[in-house]
Amino acid sequence: MLSGKSAPGRILFMNLTNPAIKRTDTAQTDERYTKLRHMSIVPALTVPVGKQSGRYKNPKRILIVLAFIAPVLAPLLLFWIFPTFSAGYISLTDWDYMTPAYSMTGAANYTKLLTSSEFAQALKNTLVFCFSSAVLTVGGGLALASLLRRAFAGNGFFKALFFSPWITPTVAVSLVWMWIFDPQSGAANAVLKFLHLPALQWIGSSQTAMLAVVIVTVWKSVGYAMIFYINALDRVPKTLYEASSLDCASPWKKFTKITLPCISPTTFFLCVISVINGIQAYDQIQILTQGGPSGSTRTLLYLYYQLGFEQFDMGRASALAVVLLIITVALSCAQNLIAKRFVHY
Amino acid sequence: MESRAVKQKFKHAPLSVLKLAVLASLGFAMIFPFLWMAVSALKTRQELLDFSVILPAVPQWGNYAQVLLDSPIPRYIANSVFVSAVTVAYQLFSGALLAYAVVFMNFRGKGALFAVVLGCYMVPGAATYIPCYILLAKMGLLDTYSGLIISNLVSIFGVFLLRQAFMQIPAELYEAARMDNAGHWKTLWRVVFPLTRPTFISFALIALIACYNNYMWPSLITNSPDLSLVSQGLRHFFIESGAYGTNWALVMAASTLVTAPLLLLFALIQKWFIASIGADTGVKG
Repeated sequence: MLSGKSAPGRILFMNLTNPAIKRTDTAQTDERYTKLRHMSIVPALTVPVGKQSGRYKNPKRILIVLAFIAPVLAPLLLFWIFPTFSAGYISLTDWDYMTPAYSMTGAANYTKLLTSSEFAQALKNTLVFCFSSAVLTVGGGLALASLLRRAFAGNGFFKALFFSPWITPTVAVSLVWMWIFDPQSGAANAVLKFLHLPALQWIGSSQTAMLAVVIVTVWKSVGYAMIFYINALDRVPKTLYEASSLDCASPWKKFTKITLPCISPTTFFLCVISVINGIQAYDQIQILTQGGPSGSTRTLLYLYYQLGFEQFDMGRASALAVVLLIITVALSCAQNLIAKRFVHY
Repeated sequence: MESRAVKQKFKHAPLSVLKLAVLASLGFAMIFPFLWMAVSALKTRQELLDFSVILPAVPQWGNYAQVLLDSPIPRYIANSVFVSAVTVAYQLFSGALLAYAVVFMNFRGKGALFAVVLGCYMVPGAATYIPCYILLAKMGLLDTYSGLIISNLVSIFGVFLLRQAFMQIPAELYEAARMDNAGHWKTLWRVVFPLTRPTFISFALIALIACYNNYMWPSLITNSPDLSLVSQGLRHFFIESGAYGTNWALVMAASTLVTAPLLLLFALIQKWFIASIGADTGVKG
């Protein structure tokens, strides 16, 4: 597609000469052609291309296009694009939200934030949380998908069962989990007792609170990963398995040499999605632990919430927002690049 | 061939029983929180504190009645349903227009427009919360339905989903409609929409569920209990009931009533829903 910033001449020629491109951007092409023609860069064309151009320069047409894009573009500008830049600006000030006055402080918020022990702890917690929930979600999803892969009676029933937590409100199910994690009368310790394991304090102790949050997160998202894996496993060419059966390959070998490489794009996609979801996890942390005990479950996003909406330190909170933005954009770009390079059809 | 298949089936029979046992126990573990939620709501305080009581001696249906008739929970559910219905309706409408423009119209800066939309997709919502909060405060829309709705009018995910579906429409069909002198508006709703209806429905469902469950942003911009969506309302309810030691039976009854509509809806459409999640939103890989 033509974009405003692409090298005009080259694309212009490609569009004029390449019959494979069906819908050429006539308005743009004509105008650029005329411009370049005036500058004597391109030779005159024998085919008159300007025949339809009146339609495209018609102000009514411009209005129609605007009417189609404005319903998304207006709110997008107001609630996404402007705020993103605005967050960057606020992060350079010492504004406290209460008073209208503020002054520019340059990178002070960033140095203060990045050198604070709170940030270091939150960063560590985020890494631990994202890593463990991603590994367990993706691994669990693959295990469930392998169990459900072959069609059998009740297959759909189990799929729905494993997937159902994903659609439920995190706040509601976190309340149940809170009750399950109750050290005295909760179900979690009853299970541990049954297995002859020592009881845990769960969300009451900084040693185990993160474990509890990870369990809830994985429980909620594992069915989602499973659905993607079931589709991916379906797409592995059957002929590969048949060929390896002739070679008497063991099931384990088939799994590691055929299945895993074939589904690796899905694995990668799910890992990135899980990490991005992990960075944005808030609901279950807010309900179960509020970041505690003693900051043991305070992730970067939760720290952002506390800085911005509890302490009203808008500058430092916005600096943290920018850090989160950079991490997320980097992950998305990596996902896109790698997906483009390694996905085979 | 047939006999071999049968033999194989028998060979795998013990494994299947084992597999079924594994699946059944895993499945039970997965839905245990839902069952526990629904059953705990029927218990007395004494029964709740003793884990060995699995089922209540006398089901306390009064707990459900109390939440339904004498608590703000139904109001929260209505709030959530109303706000998500309006929001998703607009997201579908505007998303369809933009996707149509990007796929079928030619205009200057189309590539740039789509690049901007794509860029916004990567921005985590939380990064915009503080400026959006300030913006809503300036517009006087904090703590209003309008604020909840207008700050959530765009679903970039929806635009992508619809664009993906529109691109599958054969160019000839579109050209034919345009030849018949159908305007863009007519072409979108009479030709494109009927062909991509499944995508509209699956996006509507995913967006409705996400909107109904939404917690962080609504809880930041609304304060009055009358406006709370279910998630925030449930938290209010939990904290308020905690004044005399959490009344878990009531909290569980409330959670069950909030979750049940979603689970019922899902039970009805699960096959179709799961298929559309895997097919539409995923990467091909």
